[in-house]
Amino acid sequence: MKPRKLIVTAVAAGILVVWSFPVLWALLTSFKTERDVLAYPPKLIFTPTLASYADVLFGSASVLPNLGSSLVVASLATALAMLIAIPAAYALARLEFPAKRGTGFYVLATQMLPPVGLIIPYYLVMQKLAVLDTYAGLIVIYLTFSLPFAIWLLVSYFEDIPREMEEAALLDRASRLRALWHVILPQVRGGIAVTAIFVFLNAWNEFLFAVVLGGNRVRTVTVAMFNFISVEQTLWAKLAAGAVLAMAPVILLGLLAQRHIVKGLTVGAVKGGGRR
Amino acid sequence: MAQRERRFALMLLAPALAILVLTTTAPLIYLLWMSLQRIDLSMPAMSGFAGFDNFARMGGDPRFWSSLWLTLIYTATTVVLQVAIGLLLAVLVIQIPRGQGALRVAAILPIVLAPVVVGLFWRTFVLAPDFGIVDLITRWLGLGSHNWLGDPQLALISVIAIHTWQWTPFAFLVILASLAALPPDIYEAARIDRASAWQRFRRITLPLIRPAIVIVLIMRTMIALSAFAAIFAATGGGPGTATEILNLYAYRTSFSELNLGYGAALAVVLLAITLLISFAMFALRRSR
Repeated sequence: MKPRKLIVTAVAAGILVVWSFPVLWALLTSFKTERDVLAYPPKLIFTPTLASYADVLFGSASVLPNLGSSLVVASLATALAMLIAIPAAYALARLEFPAKRGTGFYVLATQMLPPVGLIIPYYLVMQKLAVLDTYAGLIVIYLTFSLPFAIWLLVSYFEDIPREMEEAALLDRASRLRALWHVILPQVRGGIAVTAIFVFLNAWNEFLFAVVLGGNRVRTVTVAMFNFISVEQTLWAKLAAGAVLAMAPVILLGLLAQRHIVKGLTVGAVKGGGRR
Repeated sequence: MAQRERRFALMLLAPALAILVLTTTAPLIYLLWMSLQRIDLSMPAMSGFAGFDNFARMGGDPRFWSSLWLTLIYTATTVVLQVAIGLLLAVLVIQIPRGQGALRVAAILPIVLAPVVVGLFWRTFVLAPDFGIVDLITRWLGLGSHNWLGDPQLALISVIAIHTWQWTPFAFLVILASLAALPPDIYEAARIDRASAWQRFRRITLPLIRPAIVIVLIMRTMIALSAFAAIFAATGGGPGTATEILNLYAYRTSFSELNLGYGAALAVVLLAITLLISFAMFALRRSR
């Protein structure tokens, strides 16, 4: 092998380790006993145990209810966002109406607001409406970042379908809504699935809104992980097992949507800017 | 026909626009109004209209200036590091014929993790003195054990490292995709001209992937400006205020010290900075 190629391969291998380290290390640690975790130098070969998982799932401080809360919040927020975003994205991609550019820009610009700024008004208003620490409250708030993201990602998929399809449907005098449902939507099934995955992923990972606007009755897994470390700081194996359970769904979904991730990451940027 | 289309479009857009107005624009107006109020939940009797008092107070508030400075340092260094490392890696990796797939998969792992989990992870398994892997490595290298998140200067470097670790894969993936989309024959003419590898990169590759780099630059700047969870989990803004960027200062002021009026004013400043920087970046992008 040429030295140049050798260097490139070595760098690539190093990066591979650095990027996958936390996930692999957490996985490894989660199967150790608390004693093995503290061994120096770190043990790579040890007798694996499921004790930490049993503890974290069925022990006194189980994360099972938190995983459930995250699942409820993230799935419902995703379903609601998709339901509202699909028609909006279709209109932005395909229909002509006044102030179309302005509307698209507005949707994008709403994402520029720093969440820390929004959370202060949310807190006061939700307190007055008595919806702090409720599923409904948190799910609606999650629309603030899910909806613009979903609309813009879907617009790019709607724009990819050939226009002829839709015009043929209109010639048949099928109503527009039926055309949207029967002709257009099946064409963007893949795009809808990819968008839903990313929306779910962002909702699952959200922390700031969950910790301020939720907390007790609705405690998502990100908040539970955060509380865990302040309460039981030294139970590393248990922390690792909890982290593995919290990470597993997003890693699986991320791998599932792997080929689309660049598109998902840069959505909206091609036209205007903004952020994930 | 045109009118029917318009009505149909309005019908499809109405729910989304109504929700966005209610959950983003209305709170924004409320936030602006709050920033002009004195709202201190620990002293509710003192509440009332305050004009620009909250903003005037910032002038003499060293903690504000420190958080502003930290925000700029944090944003500038993380964005530059992500783009520089991401670009370098992408240019290297595009040359290896096999194994690219494995790297693409590995690159996804940091990106999909919740920032709060990443912050916790670094705080424990990576940086904890005597236990974290980085501490094990520095001890093994004879550099000794360090309190990575407890020492003010090291803590700032550590939170920058955490953000850079999590998001360099983003820059890497976007730039790699842009490199992979380049037509292979663009280098032929240059090769005949006997241009050096560096010249080929400077004159041909770089201009072609510039749009991708600019997109990464803009998006990463926006996200770095609103970074919160990873720092919150790793240091909570500390030790003291060593890693307290504007976001964390606004949060602590509002929800630990319960001074919502001043917290809102801090958030308004953050918003103004975000808008200013994004306008500057879009102007830059258009001028190119």
